Amino acid sequence: MDVQGLQMTQPAHPTPGVFKRNPPIAGEAEAIEAAKNGDAEAFSKLYALHKRRVYTLCLRMLGNVSEAEDMTQEAFLHLFRKIGSFRGESAFSTWLHRLTVNLVLMHLRKKGLNLVSLEETINPSEEDAPKRDFGSRDLALTGSVDRVALERAVASLPPGYRMVFVLHDVEGFENNEIATMLECSTGNSKSQLHKARLKLRELLRHPEPAAQPNGLKEVTV
Amino acid sequence: MTEFQSLDFDKMTAADFEQYLPEFFSNGDGHVSTDPRLQTFLKNNPDCAALVRDLEAIADQARSLFEPTEDQDPSEAVWSNIQNKLKQSSAGEDDLPVPQTI
Repeated sequence: MDVQGLQMTQPAHPTPGVFKRNPPIAGEAEAIEAAKNGDAEAFSKLYALHKRRVYTLCLRMLGNVSEAEDMTQEAFLHLFRKIGSFRGESAFSTWLHRLTVNLVLMHLRKKGLNLVSLEETINPSEEDAPKRDFGSRDLALTGSVDRVALERAVASLPPGYRMVFVLHDVEGFENNEIATMLECSTGNSKSQLHKARLKLRELLRHPEPAAQPNGLKEVTV
Repeated sequence: MTEFQSLDFDKMTAADFEQYLPEFFSNGDGHVSTDPRLQTFLKNNPDCAALVRDLEAIADQARSLFEPTEDQDPSEAVWSNIQNKLKQSSAGEDDLPVPQTI
């Protein structure tokens, strides 16, 4: 499969803060170099080090365990084939995450040809949109959000909102990077991110335990 | 997204605030509640202040999701499938090594 886009390119200048968010892992640099030379055990080590993050990223983007496992498999197969092109100008995890994100987006676009256009995926229906509700301070989140509740709420977001929220607020991509990846404007990314957070606030204030969307029953948090 | 450079922050309405909020978040490095230009407005509009607090709490907690918990591993089948695929491709043009253990 030919994966076009950002995952195989690295910034001309390493992005400040990348290594802060993705600090080097002990033994990782050696494993990368050994893997570049075809060391099979080094590949095993890289899988063991990164499988959880790659899988979780896929799961959050796709909302489906089976698809997430398939894409995890694809991501590591790509990694094994392309690791020679990693030059260490960004953190290895950042590079791998970018590769994974682009694979997932490609997968969704392929699905979208038969299901729903990318534009519709990015812009959820009126029904899914957050309500314009400022008030009701008695229902506010009192300044703290439980991790488990948030994970569950993220899983029940409409796909377009979930995508932008996961990429920005969880994975740390900038709006302009997300815009490039999703082929939309930066303004659209900002707007979708804001709507996603509003929708999450709504979901966290009024949790609906019985209202799990299709395909998310297997998601455990 | 609309420009808000000429906006009077102290006199804007809640509707103005709602309209510009995505930009405030985007320009304020994710922390609207500490933006000095908005302090008077937020003090006078507690519902808007509560909204900002909630959205900031959601964004802050989202960062903690970056590190997965221990129960978020893919099944063993994923690694087995990778090994099998690599074995298949190693017989072909890629000639990749086949990792055995994790």
